[in-house]
Amino acid sequence: MIEVNNLVKKFGNFTAVKGISFTAESGQVTGFLGPNGAGKTTTMRILTGFAPPSGGSATVAGYDVFDQSKEVRKNVGYLPESVPLYRDMTAIGYLKYLAEIRGVKNRKSRALDVLDRVGLVKRADSQIRTLSKGMRQRVGLAAALIHDPEVLILDEPTIGLDPIQVLELRDLVSELGREHTVMFSTHILSEAEQVCDRVVIINQGEIMTQGNPVELRRQMERGARILIRTEGDPSQALGTVQQVSSVLEAEIERDAIIAYPADPTIDPRADITRALVEAKHNVVEIRPAANNLEEIFLEVTRRDNIATPISDDVPVNEAEVAAESEE
Amino acid sequence: MGALFAVYKREVTLYYKSFIAYAITFALMLFHGILFQAEISIAYTVIGQGGQADNAANIVIGLLYTFVFILFVVSPVLAMRLISEESREGTLETLMTLPISDWVFVVGKFLAAWTFYTFLLGLTLIHLLLLAQLGTINYGVIGVAYLGAWLYGGATIAVCMIWSAITEDQLVAAFLGVTTVLALFLASQLGQIFEGNLLAANVSQFVRELGLQSHFQDTMLVGLLRGEDVAYFVLMILVSLFITTLIVGTRRWRAS
Repeated sequence: MIEVNNLVKKFGNFTAVKGISFTAESGQVTGFLGPNGAGKTTTMRILTGFAPPSGGSATVAGYDVFDQSKEVRKNVGYLPESVPLYRDMTAIGYLKYLAEIRGVKNRKSRALDVLDRVGLVKRADSQIRTLSKGMRQRVGLAAALIHDPEVLILDEPTIGLDPIQVLELRDLVSELGREHTVMFSTHILSEAEQVCDRVVIINQGEIMTQGNPVELRRQMERGARILIRTEGDPSQALGTVQQVSSVLEAEIERDAIIAYPADPTIDPRADITRALVEAKHNVVEIRPAANNLEEIFLEVTRRDNIATPISDDVPVNEAEVAAESEE
Repeated sequence: MGALFAVYKREVTLYYKSFIAYAITFALMLFHGILFQAEISIAYTVIGQGGQADNAANIVIGLLYTFVFILFVVSPVLAMRLISEESREGTLETLMTLPISDWVFVVGKFLAAWTFYTFLLGLTLIHLLLLAQLGTINYGVIGVAYLGAWLYGGATIAVCMIWSAITEDQLVAAFLGVTTVLALFLASQLGQIFEGNLLAANVSQFVRELGLQSHFQDTMLVGLLRGEDVAYFVLMILVSLFITTLIVGTRRWRAS
């Protein structure tokens, strides 16, 4: 279990994390989403006992990160983004080394256990320098698991992996989520949707929103531009789309029509589809124009406000309240 | 304690796996061997001319003096990798999120470097054994001289470790280490610059006492065992390790 309360981290004049609060329950995978530079790594470094916070508080496995840093570190397994490993060591040698520092008993069998867990037993005696990127990632994950920690913190574990490795790793993370508190950062929304039970979205050091990933996706897509593809020349269907009452405006972008919703709280997709079918256009594709988190962020900033929270679970942060009251 | 030993073990193994350690060993032994050979030839020439050869202890002292002088290159090379490599590779982040205090791995690494240095110093005993065959050796004097050389090595490695913690670049760490050890070596002579100037008498005294040579050359090297000299080296080691630990700790407060 991780509890973060109004956490602040400053580096000189720069505030990387601006008072964020969230909870990661045990037996769940909590996704930490945000674009690069949002403060994800900084927050995770605080939670792993690497760096102390400048303000606020956080407890990991019941221990305070500031006052009980060593207890926190005992109960956390951490996979840093760069997956630092000693390349001169063998996979098993590295795991045994960490086990020895952590005071784990039956080091060899434990090291083999975690290697088995990540599916790397066959390469146990290979030097880490000879392993592929995906394998190294798994050694890093095995290293985070060596002491069977209550909390697992994984910083962008799928970055730089090939699609098959990504799928394998996601499965492994979901599996680990059943026994541990897993916190997992990514900037890919679909990944969070697949793996996480709960998602916290952070941008520029502030939490934008948090909650169930599927609902959040819907919420973030609300009011976003809609991309429509029909059979044939898009200009023929453009008029029909423009006529739809819930569409403010529509234009052609490359081979598709982009529609702007009239009301950000109403999804115009059903209306558009109906209108197109009635006008005998064959709809091939209709979806939010933004498909990944970066694009959705762009959408959100383009709209200059974020859709209203959809449940009590989703607190509105102070900045948004301030922005809305100004309008 | 287990953690310290784990770090120590890994670092010692690493020395014996690294090319540079063997290169140092080779260069040092070659140099030392040539000097030894030269000293022996001189002694024999003197004896051949009917003179009184230098005694064995003096030969060892002469050799140890040069050995210790060469440390201005050896110590920085032994210490340069210790912390800087970890920060460059990012493994420092792993070490610093383990449930151990920062000083544990700093001390573990230092002890490993000192152990390797002890091995290097131990290799020179070969020449001592050879000398023992040729003449009588005053083991008391030699013992103190070796203790001095051992402490000297530890102190210079510890000082160089500070630079390894400051920069991620091993070459920069080594260069700054060379400069620092050389400055500390020469400090005893530099102190003389201020001599005669009454106002600077204290400064002169301080610089001289800070220097490595004031606590080695005329004392331990010639068999004079003084508590203050041992204390000087031990303090030098402890203070350097403390500073290194503090510098490593600052990473927790920095952005990257």
